[in-house]
Amino acid sequence: MSVKSIPLDGHEFIIKRRHALTSGTIKAMLSGPDRFAESEINEVNFRDIPSHVLSKVRMYFTYEVHYTNSSMKIPGFPTAPEIVGGWLMAANFLDCYTR
Amino acid sequence: MASFPPRVNEKEIVRSRTIGELLAPAAPFDKKCGRENWTVAFAPDGSYFAWSQGHRTVKLVPWSQCLKNFLLHGTKNITNSSSLRLSRQNSDGGQKNKPREHIIDCGDIVWSLAFGSSVPEKQSRCVNIEWHRFRFGQDQLLLATGLNNGRIKIWDVYTGKLLLNLVDHTEVVRDLTFAPDGSLILVSASRDKTLRVWDLKDDGNMMKVLRGHQNWVYSCAFSPDSSMLCSVGASKAVFLWDMDKYTMIQKLEGHHHDVVACDFSPDGALLATASYDTRVYIWDPHTGDILMEFGHLFPPPTPIFAGGANDRWVRSVSFSHDGLHVASLADDKMVRFWRIDEDYPVQVAPLSNGLCCAFSTDGSVLAAGTHDGSVYFWATPRHVPSLQHLCRMSIRRVMPTQEVQGLPIPSKVLEFLSYRI
Repeated sequence: MSVKSIPLDGHEFIIKRRHALTSGTIKAMLSGPDRFAESEINEVNFRDIPSHVLSKVRMYFTYEVHYTNSSMKIPGFPTAPEIVGGWLMAANFLDCYTR
Repeated sequence: MASFPPRVNEKEIVRSRTIGELLAPAAPFDKKCGRENWTVAFAPDGSYFAWSQGHRTVKLVPWSQCLKNFLLHGTKNITNSSSLRLSRQNSDGGQKNKPREHIIDCGDIVWSLAFGSSVPEKQSRCVNIEWHRFRFGQDQLLLATGLNNGRIKIWDVYTGKLLLNLVDHTEVVRDLTFAPDGSLILVSASRDKTLRVWDLKDDGNMMKVLRGHQNWVYSCAFSPDSSMLCSVGASKAVFLWDMDKYTMIQKLEGHHHDVVACDFSPDGALLATASYDTRVYIWDPHTGDILMEFGHLFPPPTPIFAGGANDRWVRSVSFSHDGLHVASLADDKMVRFWRIDEDYPVQVAPLSNGLCCAFSTDGSVLAAGTHDGSVYFWATPRHVPSLQHLCRMSIRRVMPTQEVQGLPIPSKVLEFLSYRI
């Protein structure tokens, strides 16, 4: 099951549904009354988030799902201060809190 | 009098998983000196673990081998089990570079320990001297030991040899810390009410004396960018120093009793201090505000009771590497793991006579030393950090609070970045 995310510049990303549900906002979007019940691929539009930010967010989803329910040691998630501002705004919007 | 806030059910708090223990060897009959384990330390690259096991000796063990022993032989590991060492030596005949255990006799009661390693780009601050007796190589690991008589001895960890003997303090050297930038600048905190700054790349030349404390100095810690030093001591003292100009920036007021331990968060945005007034405070070191209070006694003691003998002194505090957890040791025989957004511990573990604690270099293990020279190890709480927190740490490593406050971002994000939520 996948979710198609469409950021600001139209570069589409396909994200596994399980991973995308890390985001509280996406979860709310996909369970709302206007989801597409027939198709496997659900689309979500992010008109304010550029694609380079969204690609990093997708990496975070994978990281979070991978390490949350396992007993492996959690490695660091690479970040860089110059471009991290965009991620913070995106993460805030997407409500990426771990459970 | 309770150890947790009234709304918390003590039985519901998770108990931490024990990893292992290193017990002090039995006291030889001819050694008069008692047991002292006032510091435990991990090497910055995670290769060694050191602690003062009493009787004026410091034991250094290769950390990865130690962990392997815990896994193979269960949680108990008596330090003087020579059978393990023999079997290793027989099979490793050709491997000279494998780290070995050392027991260093320091000649006097050891009060403090610190590991230091050199970064070649960071030159000595004294640029005039053309030659130095020691040229510390990149693969050289140093251990500084602070002694009862005020001397500081610098040892080479791999060979166990004494390299330098720093003499200037007139009283117990209670804490030692190296600057994290690899410049081998060492700061020592002493009961003689001063802190001294030594340049080990300049053969241990003492560069500066920091005066300001009116009473014993208990502990000191560098901020991760090496620009600030925090020193704490008796009579409620918490001082912040600028380590470029060696001037005092600020005195932080708030504790009611001697402050005995301090530690910065990995992004330098938070400072934790532990005091005999039963509390750990989390401060913003840039503004001096108290952001969180972690209590160890409930109901919280009144200032008079907090300022005296209340049987609930907090002895040590340490920030974990994920910047989200803090560990504290108190006299009520418990180790507590806290998350910085909750005011009650997320995990606890029993520990009697705990004096000092330190997280391992990779943050996965907490070591705590006890009065009798033994060390106990637990797994730190495992928590996948949120993307917001990862971004926050990345930004705060390079931006102090005042700069953050000036950013054109929504106020809720601003509060989050300033750790005010």
